[in-house]
Amino acid sequence: MKVICDRGALLDAINLISGAVAARTPKVQLTCVKLTATKTGSAGEVTLVATDAEISLRLRLAQVDVQQPGEALIPADKLRQIISAEDSEPTLTLETEAEVIHIKGQDAHFKVFGYQVNDYPPVPEITSVIAGTDGVKAKAVFTQNAALLSGTVARTLFATARENSRYAINGVLMKRDGKKLEMVATDGRRLALCRSTLAGGGDKDAKTISCIVPTKALTMLQRLLGNGDENVQIAITDNQVFFAVGGGAKNEAPHSVLSSTLVEGAFPPYEDVIPKDQDKKVTFDRDVLSSAVRRAALLTNEESRGVRMNFQAKKKHLELSSRAPEMGEAKVDISLAGYEGDDIEIGFNPTFITDALKVISDPQVIMELKAPNKPGVVKSGGDFVYVVMPVNLQ
Amino acid sequence: MVKELVENSIDAGATRIEVELEQGGVELVRVSDNGGGIAKDDLVLAIAPHATSKVGTLEDLDRIATLGFRGEALASISSVSRMSIRSRTTDANEAFELRCEGEIKQPIAPASSPVGTTLSVRNLFFNTPARRKFLKTIGTEQGRCADTITAIALAHPLVGFVFRTDGKTQFDLPPNQTAQERALALLGSELEPEMLVVESDQHDSRGVSLWGLVGTPAIARATNKSQHVFVNGRAVRDRTVQHAIMQAYRGLIEPSRYPTAVLMLEMSPEAVDVNVHPTKAEVRFRDSSLVHSVVYHAISRALKAADLTPTFFTHGGSASNGSAPSAIESKLSHPTAIMPSPFQQPVQTNGPAQTEAFVEYLRRFTPGTDQLTFPLRGSAAPNDGENGAVSAALDGRATNTEEKQAGGPAVTNAASAQNVEGEVYAPKRVDRILQVHNSYVVTQDEQGVVIVDQHALHERVMFEALLARVGRGNLESQSLLTPALIDATADQLGRLEEMKPLLERIGVEAEPAGPRSIAVRSFPSFLFSRNVDPIEFMADLFSLTDEHEEASDAEAKHRLAHPTSDIPHPRSNERLLRDVLDMMACKAAIKAGDHLSDLELDELLRLREAVERSSNCPHGRPTTVRLTIKELERLFGRS
Repeated sequence: MKVICDRGALLDAINLISGAVAARTPKVQLTCVKLTATKTGSAGEVTLVATDAEISLRLRLAQVDVQQPGEALIPADKLRQIISAEDSEPTLTLETEAEVIHIKGQDAHFKVFGYQVNDYPPVPEITSVIAGTDGVKAKAVFTQNAALLSGTVARTLFATARENSRYAINGVLMKRDGKKLEMVATDGRRLALCRSTLAGGGDKDAKTISCIVPTKALTMLQRLLGNGDENVQIAITDNQVFFAVGGGAKNEAPHSVLSSTLVEGAFPPYEDVIPKDQDKKVTFDRDVLSSAVRRAALLTNEESRGVRMNFQAKKKHLELSSRAPEMGEAKVDISLAGYEGDDIEIGFNPTFITDALKVISDPQVIMELKAPNKPGVVKSGGDFVYVVMPVNLQ
Repeated sequence: MVKELVENSIDAGATRIEVELEQGGVELVRVSDNGGGIAKDDLVLAIAPHATSKVGTLEDLDRIATLGFRGEALASISSVSRMSIRSRTTDANEAFELRCEGEIKQPIAPASSPVGTTLSVRNLFFNTPARRKFLKTIGTEQGRCADTITAIALAHPLVGFVFRTDGKTQFDLPPNQTAQERALALLGSELEPEMLVVESDQHDSRGVSLWGLVGTPAIARATNKSQHVFVNGRAVRDRTVQHAIMQAYRGLIEPSRYPTAVLMLEMSPEAVDVNVHPTKAEVRFRDSSLVHSVVYHAISRALKAADLTPTFFTHGGSASNGSAPSAIESKLSHPTAIMPSPFQQPVQTNGPAQTEAFVEYLRRFTPGTDQLTFPLRGSAAPNDGENGAVSAALDGRATNTEEKQAGGPAVTNAASAQNVEGEVYAPKRVDRILQVHNSYVVTQDEQGVVIVDQHALHERVMFEALLARVGRGNLESQSLLTPALIDATADQLGRLEEMKPLLERIGVEAEPAGPRSIAVRSFPSFLFSRNVDPIEFMADLFSLTDEHEEASDAEAKHRLAHPTSDIPHPRSNERLLRDVLDMMACKAAIKAGDHLSDLELDELLRLREAVERSSNCPHGRPTTVRLTIKELERLFGRS
């Protein structure tokens, strides 16, 4: 294999793919990235593949001049460091000699010992699961606009549980239901739900299908979803999900394919959790509410982290306050226009509120409440519902 | 029996008592003293039942200050053995001897003997074979006698004791020892660095005064045999006192271990009834909760004031070479106090005159006197500090001298002197901190290398914070979207209702959900931020309450069986709360294996100084061990 690569493009690719390289593993091959150089006619390309056995990423790099097709398996960390350090070079030459890779710039020559390419585990391809050629056939294949998908992921991902032993909520539920794509995330104390309409109207007769995608896979997916005009083809099998980003038109292959094993287990029955009978309603300016909560949260600590929200209907005014023993107290007043309902005093973990406000793009948010010990709901547009449980303040 | 005889000698005002056993006392028990003696005419009376010289008037019965008073001992012993009493009173010219064999008494005959009484008992139970069968093996009987004499000797440091078995001297204690010397001589002087002085607060003791030595958690034992409790000089086993000791050590030792303790309680004879047990091994206090509180507070104070960090010895059991600064010293001397002082020179010249002075100095620390202040406690001021260093050195030196005179184990006194001479390194607060294997934190203090178990220390820190937080109000609780369901037994479901107040305090809301499960609706918010899972937590909480249930059952049974032991127990709910908080702290604390940044390490060590009882985690395991510079020097062959 001998290729001349655009250094900037190669660095972007290697930075992305490092996320899929196994960090600590006894199997050294998994700490490597696999390079495959191919040439069709005059157009050459290099495919980079990395997997940590759960998540796999395949990236296509077109800004290359393939002089001799071939394969290489290189320690990802070293490759990344070299490419990153050769910052005065517009291009770099990568050449293999058995398992050894030579990386050459103008004035530098690196010789890196790689591994046998045959020892690298096979990484499943989206094309084969869609076609069912490898014995595994996708249960559902659908397409979504990258920007919409990115927005849906962003509005749910933050609410997932971190290292929870209820394994199923360490991921985001992805549900395809006719024309809609729905994502739901919860950590047991709050729940975020976001819907979007599938690209091209979807297929309204398609069977409902859902799966739980690991948090890490979605975090990586977000980095791949740069260009909003692209389409993302999504394929779900029994235990895997594929996201193929880009391509599609004129039978062009996608530039990035992310695949991940699914989280096993049952997602909590989230429909029951979303309250339907909230009788207190108010619309906030998102930034005003966000700022008020943030400031009121300044005097909370680990053991007393709740912020008290006191809605006063007659005075048209909301008082937010916090109190941490041995630390101090905070009080923030904001005006309350268009509040419907009786007075209520309710406590929330302020982080839970600001987390949601951060991902809402609409300048207006709706908050719905019922009772101090009943969940609060934050809504934005028609497609985002956020349920947050109160804290019991003393 | 040995107890009775030795106590007789003490009641007779003896200052030196010799006890000899042959064949564990079955063959011969001989107790000789240099006390007041028994006059010729009284000899016959001495062995008559219920004749006693120790009660003069009826009122004396309410103020029993002598050890015996019933007049039964000699009478009953004489009826089952071949006994002889040879005695000479101070003002008599000759001694007389009374021999009797069972019921047969021989006439009193003149004999020769120094002033005092020698009482020999041969062939115990020779005429009652049935009783003889119930004597244990020679070894056991001898061990029991030794325990008895040890207890009596502890209580009477002013009386010299010699104890021989089959011709071998077991111990030979000089008269006129201080209580502390006596205790160390009997318990083993190698324990000295691990013993703390305990005394009651004079303002708060309401007629009960306490002096004693207690061991640090490091030398706690598996049985309570090393606890010696004396009430007005009488060795007793008392549940109230034992309980108070355990309470004071709560959270400092593992629950199955018993601290070493020698406690001398003094109170007016009216305040205690000694006549409740045949061998007077139990007493009944007029106000047992007062006794409990005096004991508890005195020990707690001593423990809080002390640096309980166990010192790490690389060699087994030879701690007695004094390579570690004694706990007593370290308690007394502020770090800055171990500086060279003008008083240093006199300390080193060890003239007899000074020894006398030291002995005199130590005399002041006898139990029962009103100024039991070690003048050095909490001596933070530089001035006091200097005195502290000197006194500490005096203390160490004088004790050593005493021991040498007593023919006890020779102790090198180099260590204590060196402590004064040696230049002491006083580390700054910001010192290099090393985390080893993501589990232990190594740093230094003025005594040497300090190794901290990060989980144990953080657990203790969290526990104290939680305890304080719960004291101010219920913990903040976060509601759950969907209740967490946990499996529960019918019994646990039944108990849920009575646990409600407790759960409320820690911020848990739970209710029965179906016949076999419990739904947790809300959960303390701080546990969430520590990634504690509600289901696991509740399961552990229930197993904890199961244990408590068993424990309180056992306690209830015990109370039924011993209706007299009116121990002031803290409400068992309160104890459960502490255990629950402990569990929360354990779950929320840093685990072994967690990497800590420098900042976090620094903070953790700062907390170590800020938190009470930081030397042990709430389970009682140590959080910190110390490797002293002395020990390091020894290891490297530099000492």
